[in-house]
Amino acid sequence: MPSSAASYLSALSKADAQARRSHNSTPPGTPALSMSSSITAESELEDPFSLANDTDSTDLMRPRTAPTSEQVFTTVHAEFGHCANQDYRYTSEHGPDDDLSHVDVEPPYYILLSTYASYLLLIVMGHLRDFVGKRFRPAAYKDLKATNGYAPLSSDFDSFYIRRLKLRINDCFSQPITGVAGRTVTILDRTTQNYNATQELTGTTTRTLNISSYNYLGFGQARGGCADAVEACLQRYGVSTLGARLEGGTSDLHVLAEALVARFVGAEAAVISSMGYATNSTFIPALVGKGCLVISDELNHASIRIGVRYSGASVRMFKHNDMHALEALLREVVSQGQPKTHRHWKKILVIVEGLYSMEGTMVDLPGILALKKQYKFNLFVDEAHSIGAIGPHGRGVCDYFGIDPREVDILMGTFTKSFGAAGGYVAGSTALIDCLRVHGHSGPYAEAMAPPVLAQVVSSMASIMGVAPAHTSTSTLQPAHREPHPAAAPASALPAWMALPPAQRDGSEGHERLRRLAFNSRYMARALKKLGFITYGHPSSPIVPLLIFNPGKLPLFHRLMKDRATPIVVVVVSYPATPLVSGRVRFCLSAAHTKDDIDTVLGACDEIGDLLDLKHGVGERWPLEEIMERSVELVHMDVHE
Amino acid sequence: MNATTPATSPLYPVFAALSSSLSVAEDIFYKIPGSQVVARYVKSSHRNDPGRTALELILVVFAIWTLMKSRTRKDGQGKHFISFNEKEIDDLVADWTPEPLGKPLSEFEKHDLAAVPIIQGPNGPRPKLASNGKTVLNLASFNFTGLAGNENIKERAIETLRKYGLGSCGPPGFYGTVDVHMDFERDVADFLGTEAAILYSQGFSTVSSVIPAFCKRGDIIVADRSVNFAIQKGIQISRSTVRWYDHNDMNSLQEVLESVDKERKKRGGPLTRRFIVTEGIFEQDGKMSDLPKLIELKLKYKYRLLLDESFSFGTVGRTGRGLTELYNVPAAQVDMLCGNVSIGLASGGGFCAGSSVVVEHQRINGTSFVFSASMPPLLAVSASEGIAILRAQPSILATLQENVRAIHTVLAPVTGTLVTIPSHAASPVIHIHIKPQATSALAPGAAALIKHSKSNPASVRLPVDPLKGVDMEAEEKLLQEIVEECLNNGVWVTRAKRLRGQELVEPRASIRLSVTAALSRKETEKAAGVLKAAITKVLGKRR
Repeated sequence: MPSSAASYLSALSKADAQARRSHNSTPPGTPALSMSSSITAESELEDPFSLANDTDSTDLMRPRTAPTSEQVFTTVHAEFGHCANQDYRYTSEHGPDDDLSHVDVEPPYYILLSTYASYLLLIVMGHLRDFVGKRFRPAAYKDLKATNGYAPLSSDFDSFYIRRLKLRINDCFSQPITGVAGRTVTILDRTTQNYNATQELTGTTTRTLNISSYNYLGFGQARGGCADAVEACLQRYGVSTLGARLEGGTSDLHVLAEALVARFVGAEAAVISSMGYATNSTFIPALVGKGCLVISDELNHASIRIGVRYSGASVRMFKHNDMHALEALLREVVSQGQPKTHRHWKKILVIVEGLYSMEGTMVDLPGILALKKQYKFNLFVDEAHSIGAIGPHGRGVCDYFGIDPREVDILMGTFTKSFGAAGGYVAGSTALIDCLRVHGHSGPYAEAMAPPVLAQVVSSMASIMGVAPAHTSTSTLQPAHREPHPAAAPASALPAWMALPPAQRDGSEGHERLRRLAFNSRYMARALKKLGFITYGHPSSPIVPLLIFNPGKLPLFHRLMKDRATPIVVVVVSYPATPLVSGRVRFCLSAAHTKDDIDTVLGACDEIGDLLDLKHGVGERWPLEEIMERSVELVHMDVHE
Repeated sequence: MNATTPATSPLYPVFAALSSSLSVAEDIFYKIPGSQVVARYVKSSHRNDPGRTALELILVVFAIWTLMKSRTRKDGQGKHFISFNEKEIDDLVADWTPEPLGKPLSEFEKHDLAAVPIIQGPNGPRPKLASNGKTVLNLASFNFTGLAGNENIKERAIETLRKYGLGSCGPPGFYGTVDVHMDFERDVADFLGTEAAILYSQGFSTVSSVIPAFCKRGDIIVADRSVNFAIQKGIQISRSTVRWYDHNDMNSLQEVLESVDKERKKRGGPLTRRFIVTEGIFEQDGKMSDLPKLIELKLKYKYRLLLDESFSFGTVGRTGRGLTELYNVPAAQVDMLCGNVSIGLASGGGFCAGSSVVVEHQRINGTSFVFSASMPPLLAVSASEGIAILRAQPSILATLQENVRAIHTVLAPVTGTLVTIPSHAASPVIHIHIKPQATSALAPGAAALIKHSKSNPASVRLPVDPLKGVDMEAEEKLLQEIVEECLNNGVWVTRAKRLRGQELVEPRASIRLSVTAALSRKETEKAAGVLKAAITKVLGKRR
């Protein structure tokens, strides 16, 4: 690093010259792009497997059962799997006696003990290494010590967990990828020479089966109607709208998208934010403030916690999804009022999530609404994971339970997951949303959502809703009177230039995606139980956590899955994202998966589960072959069987 | 022990059983390794001071009681808890009426919201407005270097779309780190001359996440009184000790640093992390920091410098590298350099550049990085392309500076008489304040009073409120009149929108111009001329 101003200046111009040279020959940074640009839409149609490399496992590139002559698939199999069997479909809907409570299944005692012992060992070893290392290799610890009058950026105590526990399994996290994170994903191979302190890319790639991305409806695609709509939008609108919504960045596309989102979720109005995390962190402070109370589920996402802290409101937490605990807390806080002064709370806002990202549990919405009638609090439902993924029409938890969405005061959700886009929305009454536009932090200060992202949101959402033929549609963007919900989108709700393929326009493709996701989710959850694993969550949840408990088995599971003949990438999570003892692997199902893909994952789990002694679930067990054969029966089975 | 008990007592069997079980317990106790030491200690301490045994016994009981006590507050705890019976609770529940969730907007806020222009089609230097279909000259949107609508960028974005799709479908930790994100991080680090950089998926959420990643309870933050809202929120979350110095006043900064140093020496205690947090070009008024002086002070007093270049990255310097390029200061001397990609490169997101230790720390501790999906790949590629364009064409920044000068020249006749411009002469962000009328509290006498009263570093507010006597809403209304007058004449400018009531210190109401290199000098002059006429029309009649 040059230190004097003069040498710095000359270094800058040198860097410029170098960058210009490389820019003229190949674009900087992304050399692979120049190749992909030659793939046109036409050549893709000729060969739907055009993304294949010679080195890719053919299992991932071509369907195991070859399509018959009358079957026409419009998707790239690697992005969105080909599956024509209509038996492998299901409807995501609440049954009258579905159980919503979250039950922690306890493993045998020796598993618990060995888990505690493992952590103890890791911690003792870590401290020992710190103790010895600080004395004999001080250079390696210089970032943890005060140097030259500067306190260290992170103290050795704060960073202990990261240095001594996470570092050991760093190869399971932050895996770089290239291309679409669809049904399959191409990972950039890494290796380490220094026990994970740094990881170098080897330059090779591996195509893997992807059961980890939040791509519930499989809209993460580089080909197809949505990608075409995004391309058209990029041509027309460019990349950015150059500013915050209240200043210089509102385009007609924002207005249109917000009206469509409001229709989709069944609210009067909606406001869109360019980042999912910021949707919570910047809009919650506009809802509550000093003298208000937020009652939050103990497993709520970090963005909710940050938003509540920004707002300055008081917070109380209740046991995850436990309606009795919530009622007891409500009775206490309403009767006690504010601390010390005992004044009434100005407002009480209960914040819950529709679907919890680490547990796969679904909120007990009927239970909460019953309490809401009695205790008069306001309700905020974060549908980050449930919108699009849950319900017969994909409209989230309200749709799933058959509840009028207007009974919920604020419906929040993200576009990152089911819609393959980015950002999020808040929907509610028109007056409330106007208040959020003016008083939320995003309005004056955060960049507006980029047009291509809006195009992805609008096109994917419209293909789930279906577009009503033009003559029945009304021309107003904001419905003045109540329209039936859930209904198709009127043609006027889409930009005129957006030409969706017929299967997306009539909603049949979206419907198919919803039904495929529902089947895949249920099949995976039920099959893992029948194999004998301990899983958490609701059977309709596309998030299926498989409990591993022991910290030593987590990286092993990850590596064994990745090193198989058909490589599978999984997400492993442990403390602090979960309680200490319940380390787990989290599967995220997608409509893009075929039944064969899930069988592949189940086969891998079965084998590794035996190897790692993971099968401690209770209940009847079936052998793998029987599960695969009787899959349809398994999915349609009664819950309590 | 019970040897004194008469053998004839009917309770004898009971005592016998007691004594034998006691001796068994004693045996077991002595079998535990190390128990001898404990017993010897207890005996000797009891012999020396029987009172101490009692005290220690109490201590043990207290420790057990504390451990058994639940850590969380529960029903019936705390001295302010009033216990009610079920019926009373039911009545209290029935009595309670909450306030409405959303505060209804005031008339002005409603008007203001409805008056936000909506662009029909793409935004750029000459967008078309949806309200009347007219094309306007744009001095409202952030398009400083004119990257909006660039055909190269579009082309690269479409290529990226066709390879990566739109969304990344995951947080960076779990298969959301795409190679193009890493490429952009490398590009921006290379562009600035730092070891590394990290890409956040929204500009606004960058600095508010960077600050709490490093600053913890007990650390010291020395910040400018007029930092932007994102920094205010970051400081709030960090829970650090904050000391404020007067806006853009290096003497005041030095005094504060000196006083913190004195305080620490007096109090002793361990060395804590210390940070100076400020902006390159201030979002609130367009003033520019004196970077060489900042670096000098931070090195002298051993602080780390967190510089938010949201409005200076991509807007000043020979090729748009920001304040470090403008002042010829190596960017590596700024410990955490935050930039806004959506403002500086007309794409999306934000970044923080610095040493690799600083960057890697954020990959685990930056909440909005960890808990959010990564940015759509095509936005990262567009940003990389933007950097390549800035590198290749330094003339863009020269044009921008020319346009900035043109605006100042055209507005010169009204500057100082009707309006004031606090912004730095080289800043492409130009704020315009209404010049206070002679009768207001900002008369020369009052200004002198403010200057001479010493500010308190522990409070963000000045002892004399500089806006005292200023009717903020009236000013906002006048400025909005100017904005609407300009729009009617084909020039789009905007008031700087604020979160009144939520900011630490209410910023002065202003019109904010964002000068762009995409407009020719003639067009810029024309736009400034329209603005000047509107200012004269609206403010002239006031006198």
